[in-house]
Amino acid sequence: MNIVVCVKQVPDPEQFSKITLDPVRGTIRREGIPSVMNPLDKHAIEEALIIREKFGGRVTALSMGPTQAKETLQEALAMGCDDAVLLCDRSLGGADSLATAYPLADAIRHICQFDVVVCGNDTVDGATAQVGPQLAEFLEIPHVTHVTGIEFTSERSWIVKRAIERGYMKVALELPALITVLKEVNQPRLPSVIDIMSAASKPINEWACTNLSLAAPIIGLGGSPTKVVGSFEQDIRRGKDILKGPEAEVVGKAIKRLKELGAL
Amino acid sequence: MDFNFTREQDMLRNMVRDFAQKELAPRIPEFDQTEGEWPYDVMKRMGQLGLTGLAIPKEFGGNGMGHVALMIAWEEIARVYATWASHLRGFVLPAYAISHFGPAWAQKEIVPRVCKGEIQGLMSLTEDTGGSDLANIRTTCVADGDHYIVNGRKIMQSRYSVSDFYTVIAKAGEKSFNYLLITKDMPGVQIGRRENYISCTTRTALVGEVIYDNVRVPKRNIIGEEGKGFKPVLTTVGAIGRLGGAGISLGIAESAFDLALKYAKNRKLYGKPIAELQAIRWLLVDMHTKVEAAKYFNYQPSWALDNGKKPHEIAGDLARAKLFANETALDVCLKSIEIHGGYGTTPEFGVIQKMKGALDQMTAAGSNQVMKRAMSEAIIGTSA
Repeated sequence: MNIVVCVKQVPDPEQFSKITLDPVRGTIRREGIPSVMNPLDKHAIEEALIIREKFGGRVTALSMGPTQAKETLQEALAMGCDDAVLLCDRSLGGADSLATAYPLADAIRHICQFDVVVCGNDTVDGATAQVGPQLAEFLEIPHVTHVTGIEFTSERSWIVKRAIERGYMKVALELPALITVLKEVNQPRLPSVIDIMSAASKPINEWACTNLSLAAPIIGLGGSPTKVVGSFEQDIRRGKDILKGPEAEVVGKAIKRLKELGAL
Repeated sequence: MDFNFTREQDMLRNMVRDFAQKELAPRIPEFDQTEGEWPYDVMKRMGQLGLTGLAIPKEFGGNGMGHVALMIAWEEIARVYATWASHLRGFVLPAYAISHFGPAWAQKEIVPRVCKGEIQGLMSLTEDTGGSDLANIRTTCVADGDHYIVNGRKIMQSRYSVSDFYTVIAKAGEKSFNYLLITKDMPGVQIGRRENYISCTTRTALVGEVIYDNVRVPKRNIIGEEGKGFKPVLTTVGAIGRLGGAGISLGIAESAFDLALKYAKNRKLYGKPIAELQAIRWLLVDMHTKVEAAKYFNYQPSWALDNGKKPHEIAGDLARAKLFANETALDVCLKSIEIHGGYGTTPEFGVIQKMKGALDQMTAAGSNQVMKRAMSEAIIGTSA
């Protein structure tokens, strides 16, 4: 079974309180914020490794980003992935989710005749949860998002449990397919010291656009149909109004006030 | 000069941090407040992850990642729960001594099992007449053919009742000392009373006496050279005991600072967080400065050991690391308690436990005043 798992390097969520906005450019200032693997991507790797342990095969970790993103791929190798590919090309910079999914899909086709693609459901920085589904569309395979568990009924036919509001649904899925996972799906393993030391000597394949067969200009900032036109810091203020009077009257006043504030 | 950690060391730190936060932190109430069997599963897990083998060469079952790596592990575990960082030091101590000084059979049969987290040992040094003053110990070893007969009583032995072997310093003559490997199954080994420490009443912290009553120890169990037992002991105490005390104290200090910073940003006084008050800001700056300085004092000698220096060549640096990191931990914990106000001494806020850990490290592996003695000898020379 050939499994590809997509990972992304993101600012450390534990340091989010230190992130500030550049008021002129409208972008976030990441200086001094350490980068880590997107937390849900660890669950994606774990699920890929579980699938490999069950059916055999290879797990390839794939990321798109600057050279620094090799650090995240090294962690993926330490966790147990067999190979790692970094898609690194200046022309890919500034991509939105569509312009991320498009080159990633092409890279996956170049990596192997894949059976499963596993992604984290969303990332802590962009939080769009769109790359997984868009990737599946480009690859022309079915996908299931918000996955919290898999019943491996046979090698190529699974029952996938996905979270929905106030419950869950079970979906029958035939491979090849793509899933995006939530943290409930598993408990990611910790690499041992030996895993860490051997990962350091494993190669990470660095690919540029010239290694791909990109047919459409859906890459980078220019190929992105969505643009961030502004960013702002949310101004959260707490206040209180104390309403006095008979119960029915106070309830009416409260509803009126909440409507004025846009809460109802 | 290169102050950067390697990528492997960064990844190790991430792994140990995850281990401590996800696997140790949820169990702190169990470790701290309940009695019962010592948690062998944690030792096993540390072995699986490779933490017990960090400073043990590959040929003896370790991974040889080194002293900087071990310092990272101590620091990150102690940030969450100092006792397990202290136990990690305890696992490594006797294995380190054997891996560097023999005997060869134990390097093959004992050390790899320690690295896997299957068995544990302790360095059996301290007596009522001497710990730092090793020359005045009363435990004796008398030659009897190809054996030694060991008699004595060791006190303040960490994990005294759950250890599988002991590396024991014993007097063979006026100026002759042997460092011997004794296993739990040897006739005459007795577990004595548990020490009545305020911090040692729960399942995780076991400290007590081990008594050696006419224990027949084969001469093949000598660690280092016959009659020259101080060398392996002092080498190991310096490289692992003192450096460990430094690492554990650093982790304690960092976490006590983190708690103080978080509290100061949230606690309001005079309509604003107390972190806005100059009195508190200056306290936090002082705490931070010492913590950061302790990192340099700790990692520099760790790096030196990884780069070929022998513990006796940097004895002063190793002592300084432990002295400064522990005094930092004590000071930072005290200031953190002060910043927390009345909450500082309530268990719910966690600072008082940090203080307890800092106090434990003040005397472990040589008290802070003993560190000054070692430093003075390095700086000024041996006193008459």
